[in-house]
Amino acid sequence: MKESLLEILCCPLDKHDLELEDAEYDGDEVVDGVLVCTECGERYPIEDGIPNLLPPDMREESPA
Amino acid sequence: MDLRDRRDIGTDVYQPAEDSQLLAETVCDRLSSDDGDRSDERRGTGDDRTVLEVGTGSGYVASRVADETGVRVIASDLNPHAVRQAREKGLETVRADLVSPFADGAFDAVAFNPPYLPTDPDNEWDDWMERALSGGEDGRAIIDPFLESVDRVLAPGGVVYLLVSSLTDVDAVVERAGEEGFSAAAVADESFPFETLTVLELFR
Repeated sequence: MKESLLEILCCPLDKHDLELEDAEYDGDEVVDGVLVCTECGERYPIEDGIPNLLPPDMREESPA
Repeated sequence: MDLRDRRDIGTDVYQPAEDSQLLAETVCDRLSSDDGDRSDERRGTGDDRTVLEVGTGSGYVASRVADETGVRVIASDLNPHAVRQAREKGLETVRADLVSPFADGAFDAVAFNPPYLPTDPDNEWDDWMERALSGGEDGRAIIDPFLESVDRVLAPGGVVYLLVSSLTDVDAVVERAGEEGFSAAAVADESFPFETLTVLELFR
């Protein structure tokens, strides 16, 4: 993901801003890291450059 | 004939079909048009508009909109296989449940080709393709929560392009959208042997 994507993302639970932590870059792409809610502290992983912003209770739900 | 027979199912990700093409063409046309009453407000703003495609699947619609209009397109899906396919097309992708992780007022347009096929609960199967196709018993199990939540992420003057099918009861979708404060206009339709597809433009 591009870092500028952060401006249009929010925590899916409480809609507060997210902060990027532990970022690893490939050029201007963030390929690894964690997005952390500035309010509730929930952590959302960036997997293969794709932020996974599913609410925690949906994250493990993966048919087939 | 069940859903598996109606669609050519063989992967974890819904591949572009007639509905995808109709939505892509319509969104491109509407975004490119400078004649619409609402686009007047945006005249001169050039290509700094941002568009979200919910449930992007393979990324086909999002790619066409990005390529043909030059707006910034964000592609989201619940399905991890889908967001990977979409990212391989060079799209900015987010794994998301509908519009829940997007900021207030972030988008000038939101496009959605939802799972809309009415499905007998006894006939449901639990895999990603079912999630991509099935809209529950009335076909609106995903459309309704989308209509309830999409308003928050629209910028002033923002619009929704929602693909609906005659199988889903277009009037019921329009009524539900009305309850959420949207006016609806059918901006494209196309008939096929077992359904008519319509693209609704929802605006406030």
